[in-house]
Amino acid sequence: MQKKSLWKRIAGLLLLGVMVMSITGCGDSSNEAGKGKEPTKIVFWYAVGGKVGEATKTLVKEFNDMHPDIKVEAVFQGDYDSAINKLKQSIASKSTPNVMQVYDIGTRFMIDSKAVVPVQKWIDKENFDTSSYEKNILAYYTVDNKLYSMPFNTSTPLLYYNKDMFKAAGLDPDNPPKTFEEVAADAQKLTQRDSSGKVTRPGMAMAIYGWFFEQFLAEQNAQYANNGNGRDAMATAVSFNSPQGEKVLNWWADMVKNGSAVNMGRKTEDTMKAFVSGQTAMTIDSTGVLGDIMDGVNGKFEVGTGFMPHPEGSANGGVIIGGASLWMLSGHSDAEEKASWEFIKFMTAPKQQAFWHIKTGYFPVTTAAYDDDELKKYDAKYPQFKIAIEQLHNTPINRSTQGGLLGVFTQARQEIENAIEHVLAGQASSQDALQKAADTVNDAVARYNSSVEK
Amino acid sequence: MKKNCVRYLILIVMGLIILAPFFYAVIVSFESAEDTLAFPPVFVPGEIYIKSYLEAFRTAPLVIFIINSFVVSLSVTVGQVITCSLAGYAFAFLEFPFKKVLFIIFLSTMMIPAESIIIPNYFTIRSLGWLDSYQGLAVPFMASAFGTFLLRQYFQTLPREIYDAARIDGCGRLRFFLTMVLPLSKPAIATLAVYAFLTTYNQYMWPLLITNTDGMRTVQIGLAMLQWDQGISWNTTMAGIVIVSLPTVILLIAGQKQLVKGLTAGSVKG
Amino acid sequence: MYLIPSLSLFIVFIFYPLLKSIKLSIFNSDLVGRETTFAGFSYYSEMLNSSQFLHSLLVTLLFTFYTVVPGILIALFLACMVNSELKGIAIFRTIFAFPLSIAVAGASMIFMMLFNPSSGVFNYFLQLIHLPAVFWLSDAHWALLSVAIISIWRSVGFNTIVLLSGLQAIPEQIYESARIDGAVSWRQFIDITLPLLSPTLFFVCIVSVINALQTFGEINILTQGGPMEATNVIVYSIYREAFFNTNFGYASAESVVLFLLILICTLFEFCFLEKKVFYR
Repeated sequence: MQKKSLWKRIAGLLLLGVMVMSITGCGDSSNEAGKGKEPTKIVFWYAVGGKVGEATKTLVKEFNDMHPDIKVEAVFQGDYDSAINKLKQSIASKSTPNVMQVYDIGTRFMIDSKAVVPVQKWIDKENFDTSSYEKNILAYYTVDNKLYSMPFNTSTPLLYYNKDMFKAAGLDPDNPPKTFEEVAADAQKLTQRDSSGKVTRPGMAMAIYGWFFEQFLAEQNAQYANNGNGRDAMATAVSFNSPQGEKVLNWWADMVKNGSAVNMGRKTEDTMKAFVSGQTAMTIDSTGVLGDIMDGVNGKFEVGTGFMPHPEGSANGGVIIGGASLWMLSGHSDAEEKASWEFIKFMTAPKQQAFWHIKTGYFPVTTAAYDDDELKKYDAKYPQFKIAIEQLHNTPINRSTQGGLLGVFTQARQEIENAIEHVLAGQASSQDALQKAADTVNDAVARYNSSVEK
Repeated sequence: MKKNCVRYLILIVMGLIILAPFFYAVIVSFESAEDTLAFPPVFVPGEIYIKSYLEAFRTAPLVIFIINSFVVSLSVTVGQVITCSLAGYAFAFLEFPFKKVLFIIFLSTMMIPAESIIIPNYFTIRSLGWLDSYQGLAVPFMASAFGTFLLRQYFQTLPREIYDAARIDGCGRLRFFLTMVLPLSKPAIATLAVYAFLTTYNQYMWPLLITNTDGMRTVQIGLAMLQWDQGISWNTTMAGIVIVSLPTVILLIAGQKQLVKGLTAGSVKG
Repeated sequence: MYLIPSLSLFIVFIFYPLLKSIKLSIFNSDLVGRETTFAGFSYYSEMLNSSQFLHSLLVTLLFTFYTVVPGILIALFLACMVNSELKGIAIFRTIFAFPLSIAVAGASMIFMMLFNPSSGVFNYFLQLIHLPAVFWLSDAHWALLSVAIISIWRSVGFNTIVLLSGLQAIPEQIYESARIDGAVSWRQFIDITLPLLSPTLFFVCIVSVINALQTFGEINILTQGGPMEATNVIVYSIYREAFFNTNFGYASAESVVLFLLILICTLFEFCFLEKKVFYR
């Protein structure tokens, strides 16, 4: 009996499915004639998993509940890299999603793919007020005075330090180091050695992550690529092989050489774990992992945060925002585009961004979110986050802090990481390593530019 | 007697070494975030912490994914057993023109890096309208040079005489294949089946590329969803690995029994 | 006739894409990989002149050596150990086959945890025996070996099963007659077991080499080719060039060369090893 009813139910569902399909099939034509009840279906590709993915799904569900006329289908597409690769196939086969989450360094590629609709089009169309959005964040995604994509999940790096260890080493726990020189000196003092002089606990652990290198350049108001960091015109060569770039690598390599910093490889997870388990006193990591770090430390010691360090005497620098933004893809009907825009507006609205910030630790992209009560409670719980906001607001907007635009950014990052590895291992001088990386990336830039021009 | 003891000792030590990584993963999946980060590592969790498992199930629809993976893997297994045993039989017993060349061509398919053919295949599947479907997931993998090779090698260890005897008896080729070769080759076919199942179950890139809905996704994509949380602690990721591996571990234990049975049936011996 | 099902699938899903791949290697392409203009052999000459490619080639061969030899020896040893009628032997057979059931991604993540420099088990053991900690994955001297350890762990299960099924196929009578002749056990192994096992061993060799030359998952998850390109095997390089560096032509040229390399290795094995294989 039970089996029969199950079958009946399945048959019923199938029938329902067919009906829904036939309704949506003729939905397009009836849409113009008075707001039809058939929802406009849009596809949203996202590339975050774990608790961030969960928060994304929650927001999508909320949107669908509130907008009966739109149905957003959220599809997880692997990590950022897999997602953008999948997008390439879908562009070639003309089956792109309506909205897609793309990481910061994919910006140039997205523009060059000519398969996107700048969100500026809808901002202008609706006279949408973006004044409450964080200026520094908008600046990154603004190219040729057009906002191409809507910032969504945003983070910057921070200096995390162990206040208890600072006290034990006779340092002021409320005054983290601000310059390269101070970091180097403090790291020395925080390093513990056994009787034979072997390091048992290094003062600093920093992952070999190209993003950090980019930040240290921006801290010195130095650009990553030519032509105004690729923002006045397409970059034709990189410019990270500069005295400023060398300064970063020399500072880093000196600390590793004298044992006050440890090289744990490319994964920030590893340095974070070392910090949380009390095996190092300082680390650099994204603001996005603040909540994770606090949970992991769980009161075992007091966590302090500070600005990203910069070399003594450098001015007008700051942090570059990282993370991802929401892009609208072209080639869809007006109704779908409109629905996509509604969805994007919703995802970046104050209330949603407050929820997002609490759940994931990313910045709210709109300052209006700070009025949210829940958010106030959250930030009172983690006063460390204030530093991150201050750091963002203290950053002047210029070509350096807007961040470089490069079609081959993933490759450039890989080459930089490779160069850092060589320098830290003492196998190349900073100058040679950066020059070699620049040569390789420049070849790639030339090839990329030539494939775009067609 | 002493000799057996030594053998047991070696077996136990080797067995432990091989199992240790997975055992440790199981332990960690039951630890709290704090324990997983502790140094020295915690080998016996203070209390059993099952939140990671709940978290894993909440983050990804793992049950649907596991069912999908089973459907696809089973289809591929059945497909491979059929195509490979036919081809292996031809290469082992029959004489036909270009046999050597064809065999090399077969083998060469094993040598093509999967990464370099995945994109053209995507377009083929798309033009067939098989995106987001079980066919799309399974059909491209239903033939296998590896399996053909495995079975050919095994068929060749079968005594040549039974083939000649069967020919004299006037037994048709197909009948000989079905009634003699297949039953005699149970162990090799079981090996192929287990292998085909597991490799399909463990695919990641292809399913990610050609599926677009949670209803068609497979387990390894679920694992990728969980990987995101490994930033802070290992427990959720390890819980995911344990959940995803459980079906294959059970299958292996069951399959291995079959395999051993096939082996000890002794039909090959003598 | 018996080949038709396999052949037709191969043509559609392997040879046709391969031809496309070859075609792509002599064309320039746009951002999403559509061919644009004819490039001739420029990608090939660029590749053969690049020190990075030669380095990748070397790393690939080294990795193959690191994984295939120990992988087969350990599996042979294990297979011999479980090829007996001892009580409870089935349990051990299952245990040794066990790694087969863990996916590359899962295995890589488990080992990532074990290799962790600050809270990993491996470094804990080293500390217990008073050895300095090793940065398994971030030290260029160790990274390739560390990845090889995972590959060996993963391949042992499969190799053991296959070798065991080969061992089981050796008739007991042969051993009995040898025993009557008074052959010692290791002579027995060399004179009887190895020759009779040779078809299976040959199979395992070929498959192991091919798998090693195509290792990708572990490297993608654990090292991304680093540190200092120490684990940048060809397959990984293909993946990076095609999927990240929008350099489809170069990637295709690399995959054609990798294909030829594997083909040569396999033909070599066929010419020199199969002669020694003893088919009944």
